[in-house]
Order: sequence, then C-alpha cells, then structure tokens
Amino acid sequence: MTPTLARGLGVAALLLGTVVPAFSQDITFTDQEGREVSLAGPAERIVTIPMPMASSVIAIDGGTDHLAGMNPVSKAAITEGILGKIFPESRDINDSVTAANFVPNVEELAAVNPDLVIQWGGRGGDLVDPITNAGMTAMLILYGTEERTRGYMGMTAEALGKPERFAEHEVWRDAVMSEIEAKTKDIPEGERPKVLHFSRILNGMSAAGSGNNYNDWYINLVGGKNAAADLEGSKPVNAEQVAAWDPDIITLNNFEPGLTVQAVYDDPVLSLTSAAKNHRVYRLPLGGYRWDPPNQESPLTWMWLANIVHPELFDFDLRAEMKSAYKTLYAYELSEADIDSILWMDMQGDAANYDAFQAD
Amino acid sequence: MSASEEGLASLARPFVRMPRAVAIYVGAIVVLALVLVTGVSVGRYAVDPVRILDIVGQSLADPFRDLAEVDERIVMLVRLPRVLLVALSGAALAVSGAALQGVFRNPLVSPQVLGISQGAAFGGAMAILFGIWGLPLLAIVFLSGLSALALVGFIARINGRSEIVTVILSGMIVGAMFSALVSLAQFLADPNGPLPAIVYWLMGSFASTTWERLFVAAPGLAVGMILLWALRFRLNVLSLDEAEARSLGARPDVERWLVFALVAFIVGSQVAVSGIVGWIGLVIPHAARLMVGHDHRTLLPASMLLGAAYLVAVDTLARTMTAAEIPLGILTALVGAPVFAVLLRNHYRDRTAK
Amino acid sequence: MIALENATVRFGSRAVLESLSVAVPIGRSLAILGPNGRGKTTALKAMLGFQPLDTGSRVAPKIVGYVPQSASLNQRYSVRDVVVMGRAAHLGLFGQPGPEDFDAASRALEHVGIAAFADWMFDRLSGGERQLVLLARALATGSEVIVLDEPAAALDLRNQERLLRLLTALRDERNRAIAFTTHDPNHAFAADDALLMMPGAETLCGPVDAVLTSDNLERLYGVEMRHTTITGPDGRTRNAILPAFAGKEAA
Repeated sequence: MTPTLARGLGVAALLLGTVVPAFSQDITFTDQEGREVSLAGPAERIVTIPMPMASSVIAIDGGTDHLAGMNPVSKAAITEGILGKIFPESRDINDSVTAANFVPNVEELAAVNPDLVIQWGGRGGDLVDPITNAGMTAMLILYGTEERTRGYMGMTAEALGKPERFAEHEVWRDAVMSEIEAKTKDIPEGERPKVLHFSRILNGMSAAGSGNNYNDWYINLVGGKNAAADLEGSKPVNAEQVAAWDPDIITLNNFEPGLTVQAVYDDPVLSLTSAAKNHRVYRLPLGGYRWDPPNQESPLTWMWLANIVHPELFDFDLRAEMKSAYKTLYAYELSEADIDSILWMDMQGDAANYDAFQAD
Repeated sequence: MSASEEGLASLARPFVRMPRAVAIYVGAIVVLALVLVTGVSVGRYAVDPVRILDIVGQSLADPFRDLAEVDERIVMLVRLPRVLLVALSGAALAVSGAALQGVFRNPLVSPQVLGISQGAAFGGAMAILFGIWGLPLLAIVFLSGLSALALVGFIARINGRSEIVTVILSGMIVGAMFSALVSLAQFLADPNGPLPAIVYWLMGSFASTTWERLFVAAPGLAVGMILLWALRFRLNVLSLDEAEARSLGARPDVERWLVFALVAFIVGSQVAVSGIVGWIGLVIPHAARLMVGHDHRTLLPASMLLGAAYLVAVDTLARTMTAAEIPLGILTALVGAPVFAVLLRNHYRDRTAK
Repeated sequence: MIALENATVRFGSRAVLESLSVAVPIGRSLAILGPNGRGKTTALKAMLGFQPLDTGSRVAPKIVGYVPQSASLNQRYSVRDVVVMGRAAHLGLFGQPGPEDFDAASRALEHVGIAAFADWMFDRLSGGERQLVLLARALATGSEVIVLDEPAAALDLRNQERLLRLLTALRDERNRAIAFTTHDPNHAFAADDALLMMPGAETLCGPVDAVLTSDNLERLYGVEMRHTTITGPDGRTRNAILPAFAGKEAA
C-alpha cells in the first residue's frame, strides 16, 4: 500500500467514523461506575430501581411514556404525593421489577423488556449482575453529592435522547445554588444554626450524619451546620445524644408513613430541645418526589430550607418558585391547595418561619 | 478414719458452703449496685453527679412530680427505666441459660439453641412489617416464641419420650427456619420504612426503653425468674441422668417442658422490647458456676446478679462509647464469644484431665 | 414389694425376657445373675419401670431406691447435697429441702458408714466412696425397695468387701426388699434368693443355696464351676464358688 492510499483510507475511515454514528443515532456514554453504556437509540422502555429515579425520568422526559417499571417505594411516593395526581397513569406502571432493597426480580424485569435499567452502583454485584447476565443494559449511578446527582441526571437525559432537558435543569440548579452559596459561604460556624435530620424517628431514632450524605450537604449549603456531624452516614442515636446536641432546627423524613411533627413534640426529651421549644420542627415536603434525597426538585428543597434556617438572609417566594418549577418539570399548574398539601401546611403551618410559605 | 480415707483427705477439699457463698453474694450485689449507679450517672448528655442525686432524691420523695427540665427527664425517663430493664433482662436471660444447661445436662446450650429467640424475632419482624406496634406486638412475640418451642416439641417427640440430643437438633432446625423467615421479612420490607427497625431490632437494642416498655416486659421477666428460682432444687434433680432422676420421683420429660416454657416466657418478653440479645444465657452461667459451683440453689441467684451487672455494663458502653448507638447484640457477641472460647477450653481440659 | 408378673421383653425378634415372674417381698433380698447380654440389666430396668414390657406387668412402690452402676457426670455437689436429692419425691416440684430432709440425709450417711464425708465434694471421692454415697441417697428416699445395678462391678477389693458387708447388713435388717445384679456368683451370698438368667430366656429362681449348684452355674456361664471352702486366719470357714480356671494347677 502506498503512503497516499493509506492516508486516503485513513481519512475516509475518520469521516465514516464521524458520519456513520450520526446516521445510526446510537447513544453511548460512561456511567458512574466507569462502564460503557450503549443504546441503539433513545431509550423507550426504562426501568428505574433507585427510588428517586422514577420521578426524575418522568420529569426529564416530560411524561410517563418511556417509564416501564419502578421501585415499589417510588410508587408509594407517587401515590402519596402529587405526581400521582399529575400523571394518573403512573399508578399503573409495574413496580414488581425489584424488591424495595434494590435486588431486581429478573423474570419480572425480562417480562417488562426494558432497553435500559437504571440501578445503584457501588453496592455490589448482587444488584447488577442479574440485570447484565440477562442481557439487559444497565446504567449505574452513585448516591451522595450534588455533583453525582447532576451527573446521573445528565446521563438519564442523554439516554432519553433529550440532553437539552437536563441542560436547562442544570442551569436552574446552578442558579439557585450560587444564589444561596453567595450568602452562606462566609457564615462563620458560630452563626450557623444546628440542624438535625431524622432519617428515622418512629420506634427507634436514626440521624443523618456527615460523610457522603445529601441531607448533610444541603444543610451546609443553606448556612446551617449538621448537629449530627459526628456520625458517619445515617446511624441510630438515642434521645440523650439528641439532647446533648440540642439542635436548633429538626427536620423529619418522608419515609415513615403517617409521621407527624408530634413525634418530636410528644417525646419527653425531644420536646425540650431548642428546636422543639422554638417550634422549629418540620417534616420535609413531599412533592413530585420526597424532598429529602437528591432529585429534580432539590433546588426547591434548598430554598425551603434556606428560608427556614436563615429567615434573615433568605426570602424566596417558594410558592411562586414551585409553580414555575412544576410548569417546567411536569407542565403542570399547581393549585394553592396542591402547594399546601406538598408543604404539609395542615401539620406544620404554625411552625416558626412557616408563614413565609403561606398563601397570601 | 482409715488410712485410705486419710489419704483422700488431701484430695477431697471440704466444701464449706456458707461463708464463701455469702462473700460471693455480697460481692456480686456490691458490683451490681455500682454498675447500676454508674449506668444512671453516665450518658452522652453530661449530668453532674450531685445533680443526679438531687433529681433521684426529689423523685423518691415525690414519685409523680412533674419533670420539667431536660436533665431530669433524661435521668428519670430515659436512663433509669433503661438501666432497670437491662438489669432485669440480664438477670432473666442468665437464669434461663443456667436452667437450660441444667435440664440439658450440657453447659453448652442457651435459649437460642431451642430456637425461641428466633421464633420471637420472627413474630416481631412480621408485626413490624404490618405496622403493628405496642401491646399487640408484644403478644405476637410471646406467641411466636412459644410456637417455636411447640414446633421443637413436635419434631423431637418421636416415640413419646424426648431425647435431649433430638431436642437440641430440633431446636437448631426450628431456629434456622425462623431465622430464614426473618430474612424473608427483611427482603419483603421497604428498606426506608420498617426495615431499619427490623435490622436494628435483630441485633438487639434497649434504646427505645420507656417506663411503659419496662412495665410491659417486667412481669414476664420477673415471673419467669421467680418460678425458675422456685425450681432450683428440682433442677438439681433434673440435671441427673434420666434414670436417676426418674427413680428419685421426678418426671423429666414433663418437667423439662415446664422449664422450657418459663424460658420461652422470659426470652419472649425480652425479645419483644429489645430484640435478640445473645450470649448472656450461654456465658454468664459458666462464670457463675466457676464461682459458686453447680448447685442450682446458689447458681441461679449468682447468675441473676452477674447477668444483671454484666448486661448493664455492656449496655452502658453501647450507649456512651460513640455518638451512634451500638446495637447491643453486637457487643455481647464480641465480648461473649472469646470469653466463651476460653471457658470452653477450660471445660474440656478439665474433663480430659479427670 | 417389687415384682414382675409374666413379663416379656423382645428386642426385634429376640425375646430377652420371656414370661418372667419374679417377686421380692419386703424383708427378702434377690441377686440376679447371668453373663452379659442375657438380660439381667433388662430385668432390673423392667423392675425399675424404665423398660416398657411387651406383655406382663410390674408391681412396685411409687418410689424405688435406685443405685446406678455409676453416677452421672455432673455431680459437682457436696456429698450431703447428693444424698439430700433422694428426698426429692417428698418435696414435690417446687419444694426445697428442710431440716428434716437434711436429717434423713445424715441418717442415711451414717447407716452407710460415711458420715465423715458429708462435707466433701462428691466428684473428688473414689469410685467406691461414690457408690456408697449413691446407696445413701437411695436409702434417703425412704423407699422400702432398694435396687442396685451391678454395685460391685467397678470396685476394687477393699470396696467390694465394704459394699457386700453393707448389702448383707441391709438384708439382715429385714425391713426392705433388695434386688441387685451381679456377674460374680459369690456376691449372691449377700442375698436370700437368686435369679439365674439362663440361655434361651429360661430362668431359674429360688433360695441361693438351692439354686447355686455347679451344674446350674456351668449352664449359666458356659464355664465349669467349682464349690470350695476357704478357711480364714481366724479359723472360720466360708463357702465359695470359683470358675474351674481360677488359680493354678497344683504340682
């Protein structure tokens, strides 16, 4: 072969390499465990095993058409929360494809015939191998930081063939985060209220510690400090320890059905914390998804918490923000009653600094 | 005395019971008192010792007074019921172990061997899975612990008489089965809902102790202990082999099941309020035997005192060592297993030496 | 009294006891003889009520004073505590031994001649001493029936003597029914009657002198037996039975 011919062939190959993929529209990216994920085209039948992802897929996709299966706990949030109202057909989506503990039911999964399965990475082969061994494509995501959250939301948008949806979303996240950070990054530790998040409180208490914990991250973002920073991750604690920490603000999770702020006010020891005495006990709102873990409504969480933690610094018009966000995410017009319900107004309407969230 | 009898005198040391036993009891009571006082005095929320005396004193004077301050509530509503429940549980579990070891004529058995703890744990797991709490949960745990025992009885009763080895094997089978069912319950549960409660509960914890829980568990623990103590002489007889025991007027088959039922009563009460706490019934009676011998008339009270002191000490560590509560079952296993290994070696070394 | 009436015990197809009828009234003592495997332990167990009978019945008081061949392993109690366990039948399920029970235990220890050992640890005694403690325990039950399983089998000569002397003494008190198994025919002299467990589930029963003939014993053991007399240093003579192979050929 002559050098000229070789060069010519090389150029041709290069051209083909760039042109052909464009024609075949296949989607390739690397997931958060460094695996290459290849799809022949935008995913049409996605199964989401991590709990927040069902609502994220719906939000990015703008509907339920491409969501074929989800985690039963995601389903619970949908039926309990507003997403089930916005997208009533979501109640019919298969939730038997996995157990609550993320171990997939391969037969059920195969019956659903997904072209993409979103699953947790970093938690061992038991969660992943059944999927890949059955010949299905898995996309693995990692929990914990805002960076990772953006990473996997971006991947999801790409998989759906709608990268622009995430691009807009990221702009919003960035804007809110910068706005909050600008005011809080220089707050000295002494002026940061102690915030304690109970990941479990009924029949045994667990608090969210620091160390790869999203609750801890946004507590710090909004200018608070994690009362349970001593703990690694989410760990069991006793009432005495909580009294010793004496948090200024207490937040409650959305994973315990029927949980109300009375769980704190009725407890003999918790009711004597500064948080309880000052009526600063709040259950995190439950919107399109629970506001505790990272999801597409996280910026709303940050704004909500910022208003609560530093009312002297922040005055977000949360109701307006929520209406705007839901329009963008779900093409839905929130009613005042919807908002009250999401923010648990019945339960904690009279909590400190909550009047900022009341309808005018 | 004959020459041989005098020769024997050097080998058979006289067992003068009274003063030595008294010394041991006094010692054990002092240790228990110290451990209880320490338990009430320490915790993640620092309370001054003088203040503690003040709080306790005021409450003794007026038991129903209103507790307004956080330190009062912590001492009287969090630490005190917990220390008392732990002491009661430790004593009751130790006595159950001692009684079982007597009846089985084998020092290597415990309530877990009969599958009672696992049965009770399964009942509790199912109850939690269905969102049942409080008194109904306790009732379910009792019943499932007892049903594990009944199942063991059914499997072991092959030709109308229960052989001990068969009972042990049946206990292992039933225990394994209920453990598997607990794992199934875990699998079915929502990991962010009831499951953490199940997992935590299976590793044992007294973190949720309130006076109410104490009053609910105490009758079962106390009645079980008292009745086992009342059987102390009978246990001596039952720890002889079958033929000897029967010739002395005992009916080992039947009486053994009475002991089992009392143990189930105790273990069910304890598991209901604090999950599976292991190794107490196995290790404490051994230590007690080393101190006071095999006679159940001294072994049972000694086990109670030691069991109470030991569990309170370990639980105090579990709730004060770190900010997070360490599940008690982990600590009792970490301490109990090596201690038991040493006791086991000594036991077999003594046996082969004889 | 203690008795078996028409008792039959089969292990599989083999009949170990075949319509055995034997009675030991109060005041009499019975020695059960036979080689191993012939059923003397089965007969004893049947009397004690530990062996279910295929046919026939058993007559016995509610509590029988049983002296096993050796004690259960776990006897780390004082001698007095071991003996007082014999009082269990009188105490019921939740009873605790009181002063009268300890008195009964002391009396039993004296009866057997080991009162000096009352405070010693049981597991530190020799085999012979332990056997005596178990006998004291059986006496402490207050039962009129005492049954011993090969009481002299594991004992050295010194302790055999002691035990046999005790058995004879107990017999001579004439207020109990005593039964024991042994594989040494000489021990039968401590009893009034002997039950020979012959081959083929046949049995011979009767007063010792009548039943312990050389022929019977030869049939029993399959070994030639000789009657002999032994003269002691005090001039008194005793009758004894020895296997023909005992001793050494005289020159």
